[in-house]
Amino acid sequence: MPSYKINLNIMPIPSVLDPQGEAIENSLKNSSNPSASGFRVGKKITFTVRASNKRKCKEIVKDLCQKLLVNEVIEEYSFEIYDEKN
Amino acid sequence: MMKKINFAVLNFPGSNCERDCFHVLTKILKQKCKYIWHDSSSISGVDCIVVPGGFSYGDYLRTGSIASQSKIAKKLKQFSLNGGSIIGICNGFQILTELKLLPGTLLRNKSLRFICKDVNLKVNNDSRFSNLYENNEIIKIPIAHAEGNFYADKITINKMKKNNQIIFSYSDSNGDLNSNINPNGSILNIAGITNKSKNVIGMMPHPERASEKIFGNTDGLKLFKSVINFYSN
Repeated sequence: MPSYKINLNIMPIPSVLDPQGEAIENSLKNSSNPSASGFRVGKKITFTVRASNKRKCKEIVKDLCQKLLVNEVIEEYSFEIYDEKN
Repeated sequence: MMKKINFAVLNFPGSNCERDCFHVLTKILKQKCKYIWHDSSSISGVDCIVVPGGFSYGDYLRTGSIASQSKIAKKLKQFSLNGGSIIGICNGFQILTELKLLPGTLLRNKSLRFICKDVNLKVNNDSRFSNLYENNEIIKIPIAHAEGNFYADKITINKMKKNNQIIFSYSDSNGDLNSNINPNGSILNIAGITNKSKNVIGMMPHPERASEKIFGNTDGLKLFKSVINFYSN
């Protein structure tokens, strides 16, 4: 059965205050470089899934996100699937 | 003579308030109480379960998320459906939201700091966990958390208000819920809520740390007594 590498990106949804992002932004204001703004801090999780095909793999990843990896009250996610050999 | 009911305190790797809860229930309130380890799959002969505070599974991924996948957590859902009483304190509250037994979730404190101090709470006495308090009574109970900033979307908040699920709110000593005294950024100064059927409560303050005269504060004791009272009627 093929193996797929998953890159899962999790971010706080826009309506949720992200104090970490705010803290980063505020600290950069002090560095006299005001060119960047809108910082949001999320997380990246990588793992491997064995599945009969890519479509099945996608289903498994979504299920894992809903069960544990993501809290959809406050987070949104996206993911990329790569063939393991790459 | 107070009625005796059967309590259980859950225990996860990283829980650290389970002994305080057990002490208050057995030594102060003279109740029956047992510990239940996280990989047990049996909850029997129990009226009320306490999910204690701490740092279950090192707060990995999100606070309470790993504990919500444990064997006992699945049994907790069934226990709740059957009408059993569940008290989630601090990390216990976080676990219960991750289990979807309570609405919303707990975000990092707005200040990004761990906060440990006494806070005033305004009490709504319309629940099995608060029936011995006066309505709108102001009590003092300590908080100790880094993720206590309650968040839920507007629709959920409105449903909770309509259903009278907000039991404890951060308040000043006059009962005013202004944003200046909100310690962590919680929506509507929320400190403790119940589920829709009001048999599950989650709260960030620690009533077990304010339940003994030796600590100079027994405001938390009435929470546990309220549950016992509920089963006595």
